[in-house]
Amino acid sequence: MNLAQIILIDGISYAGWLFLVSIGLTLVFGVLRLLNIAHGGFYALGAYVAAYAIGLAAQNGFGVGVQLLVALVGACGVGGLVGLLVERTVLRRLYDHPEVLTLFATYAVFLILEDVTKLVFGGQPIYAFQPRNAFGMVDLGPLAYPVYDVATVAVAALVAAAVWFVLNRTKTGRCVIAVVNDREMAASMGVNVTAIMIGTFVVGTALGAFAGAITAPKIAVAPGIGVEVVVLAFAVIVIGGLGSIGGAVVGALVVGIARAAATHLAPDFAVFAVYAAMAVVLTIRPYGLFARPMARKI
Amino acid sequence: MTRLFDPTIILVVLGAVALSFAEGAMPGWVVYMTQLAIAAALPALGCMIMLRSGLLSFGQGLYYFLGAYGIALTQDHLGLTDAFAGLAVGVLASVVVAIVIGLFLARYRGIFFAMLTLALSMVVYGIAIKMDLFGRSDGLNVARLSYLGLTPGREWASASLFFLCVWLFALAAIATHLYLTSRFGKMLSAIHDNETRVEYLGWSVRHAVHVNYVVAAVLGSLGGAVAAASARYADPSLAYWTTSGEFVFIVLISGQASVLSPLFGSAFLEVLRAYASAHFPDEWQLVLGAVMLLIILFLPKGLGHLFVLAKRAVVRPAGAAERKERAR
Repeated sequence: MNLAQIILIDGISYAGWLFLVSIGLTLVFGVLRLLNIAHGGFYALGAYVAAYAIGLAAQNGFGVGVQLLVALVGACGVGGLVGLLVERTVLRRLYDHPEVLTLFATYAVFLILEDVTKLVFGGQPIYAFQPRNAFGMVDLGPLAYPVYDVATVAVAALVAAAVWFVLNRTKTGRCVIAVVNDREMAASMGVNVTAIMIGTFVVGTALGAFAGAITAPKIAVAPGIGVEVVVLAFAVIVIGGLGSIGGAVVGALVVGIARAAATHLAPDFAVFAVYAAMAVVLTIRPYGLFARPMARKI
Repeated sequence: MTRLFDPTIILVVLGAVALSFAEGAMPGWVVYMTQLAIAAALPALGCMIMLRSGLLSFGQGLYYFLGAYGIALTQDHLGLTDAFAGLAVGVLASVVVAIVIGLFLARYRGIFFAMLTLALSMVVYGIAIKMDLFGRSDGLNVARLSYLGLTPGREWASASLFFLCVWLFALAAIATHLYLTSRFGKMLSAIHDNETRVEYLGWSVRHAVHVNYVVAAVLGSLGGAVAAASARYADPSLAYWTTSGEFVFIVLISGQASVLSPLFGSAFLEVLRAYASAHFPDEWQLVLGAVMLLIILFLPKGLGHLFVLAKRAVVRPAGAAERKERAR
């Protein structure tokens, strides 16, 4: 198997994870027009809840299936609930404020979430490798790959399909698209804009927590895992175009393959690969691949 | 010349003179906290001038880092303990980096600008914790400084550093004030109001943003140098995103009324930090975030706006209500 194939496999595997991490962020941006820096906090929260749940289920002798189920449901539930709390107490008051202030408010929420997570779960790293080990390895050509990582890509594809289906084939999804395109017009047509906005934010934060839960068995869940994720997710969605679901898929693939290529060809520059990819795309298309440029008003 | 007799400049000079004389009477911890407040106020001043043009930078930590390592690396590799040599190296490095990065950044606005600056400073952090040159995650120690060949004795070391910090801030504040009140500086507010109109008037917004970014970078590196000289070490966490966030937070607390606002903001932050670390040592971010949220929600124009509100409550100019009515 040649290097190109290895890079492709690694890149797609990483892209699947990147998509899961960024989908919530881009969804929230599309509907609420705010960049939720706290997304990284929800990711970390999900990872902690999942690691804790997996440990608890494993102690009580449950199998891998139950461990994962408890972890994912728990993480989504907690993420969604905290998201609802944040929207109702903080963001709701800030929709009319300048962009800078809302950006900063989500930053403040991120700081608070980081410390609250640390307070609840402790500062020590939590390990929850059981599910990933239990799935074993699969041979992709001569390359042995963890089944769990292959499954992550499948889950990412499923999430993408589900989001596409909900947005394009259900009435609620149609209303969401209407709100994205023109908030006032949608409201005058009888769409409950407030409910759509709350719902999207809750779904977005639950998706962030879901991504954390999926990742928990792969990493040491420790304080500070959230910030890298915000920056990476931002790189992904900015390449695709903020608020575009298809853009998130393409952005994840671009960043994933760029990173895999850098890891194999020039390991010292792996840190730069993501930002280099972002810089190249933004230089050619300042608003990302799939976003229309905003009109300048005099 | 007449612009030099501006009330703000007179206030800065008087304040610096007063602090210089008061140094002997101040306990050591007050001197140290004042230096830390100055160290954070300088990059915050940089954030303020960028916010004047409507740009939010989450990456001033990058230049804070460069300024601090300017001092540390000059000592380690050039063998110079001179404060001004270290400052010059840090400022020079910041100017070069800011000019290069600015070429790319000056095209972006709003969240693009904010997140790109954040990403850049995190790249630097990621490199620095892995490189021996920067002492990895432990950082580097900073030896006691000398000043243009003079090495103060033990009893004068802290006083001379304090003078350097105070007067460095005073000079930076005066320079920034002159910069903001110049024609170019006034254009920054115009850019904030409406970019397209500024371009119709024949100015290049991109060029102005770029220049402004470089000026902010220099202020950031001066702050970093003060921080490294005061704390006697430099470590990669200076480029970490929370450090940059604190600078924006300072501007948010203090408002953007004057070049002295960030100093009040950072003094408030230092007091808050001292209080929080005494009572909630592990929940510093929580306290910071909560205070930040409260201010955003209830005082979106900053603590400085309290003065305005108080003034409005006390002083009601005669006929103000009537004039307002007529203006409608």
